[in-house]
Amino acid sequence: MDSSTNASAQAGDSEPPLRVPSNVAWTEETLAIVSNGDAFHGLLLARRCNHCHGEEGFSSVPVFPNLAGEDRLSFWKQMLDFRSGKRTSPVMQGIAAGLSAQDAADLAAYYSMLPIASDPQDNRSFPQPMQTPSQASIAIRLIIFGDGQRGIPPCQSCHGPVSYVRGAPPLATQNGGYLQEQLEHFSNGERTNDINIRMRSIARQLTAEERTAVAEYYGAGLGPGGNSR
Amino acid sequence: MKLKKQIGFAAALVLVGLVILSTRFNEVELPVWHFLGGGNGPDPATLHLRGEFVESNLGAAEGPAGSLTVRMIAQQFVFVPQCIVVPASVPVHFRITSADAVHMLSFVGASYGLKAVPGVVTEATFTFDRPGVFKAPCHEFCGSGHFAMRGQLEVVPRDQFSFLRPGERRTCEPR
Repeated sequence: MDSSTNASAQAGDSEPPLRVPSNVAWTEETLAIVSNGDAFHGLLLARRCNHCHGEEGFSSVPVFPNLAGEDRLSFWKQMLDFRSGKRTSPVMQGIAAGLSAQDAADLAAYYSMLPIASDPQDNRSFPQPMQTPSQASIAIRLIIFGDGQRGIPPCQSCHGPVSYVRGAPPLATQNGGYLQEQLEHFSNGERTNDINIRMRSIARQLTAEERTAVAEYYGAGLGPGGNSR
Repeated sequence: MKLKKQIGFAAALVLVGLVILSTRFNEVELPVWHFLGGGNGPDPATLHLRGEFVESNLGAAEGPAGSLTVRMIAQQFVFVPQCIVVPASVPVHFRITSADAVHMLSFVGASYGLKAVPGVVTEATFTFDRPGVFKAPCHEFCGSGHFAMRGQLEVVPRDQFSFLRPGERRTCEPR
């Protein structure tokens, strides 16, 4: 083994065109903006979100994400990525274009405070029973243990409740239809706004069956970390 | 009598120490001077925005003199790129940094590892003699998903590894 350093070797090679997944970086300034959101201003702004995402932050359509109890950093990053076009959505890009960074932080503060308790009066689509309950064992294994042989870390080590990484949303009260769509988009390269190729590396190793199983399991409200049951 | 026992005990300790040293896992540690002056490596929070560790620049790259450099990021809980491919019997220069915690890239079957520290670029030159597919687990506890953090190293025979164009980056990740 030779551990010599040769700085000249990497000086000359030409770099490929720069590809930046997201303009958001978790610097001190960014964290300060997000953590100083005004939840009351967020409540006023959220009136234009209610139609799709529900008045209580729970959507009535499974392919729209639930926002109640959403992680502030995650929410804020998605809004700025929609605004800059790093994440594409025909609906959300137009809406996010009208939000400033401070507005996004206010909305993040509001939605992070919404309770995730169940409400029979609400017409939320969450939770949906699993279509194939026999696949629950696949989902449990991936969520709690991952698959070390393939290098797939457990979902709960970044998305909670065991531990969180910056920008990872909690999944316990998320809609299964939305989760499945996002896993598909990460795996086929339609969604590329994850910092340092983290979710893309994981999603493209999962089989189609595993993506469905994990999404349906979380969408059924069975995932760890939720207190909606 | 007591002195003899003490000498025997000391000799046994030295022997155990020598055995441990002889089988020691050869980590590529960072020299102390890397940490003097606060370090001048890339900011772990902005790796994806600028510098040599942007996502389009990761993987194996060929230098002007035919030298091969592999750039990687270690982060909770995946190595990026997760699968790297290098030719056998050719010195490969590794440059690795971390985006969050301290990780260590190790190769199953080889007795050395490469520590990835946030804010510092660790580099080393390895030569892999035997073609094959090797698992590359993280060898430094980095969090609750550490046990499943595992990359893959594919060593292919030298004639099967075609030359890289300038600006081309090679990994063996599924597209």
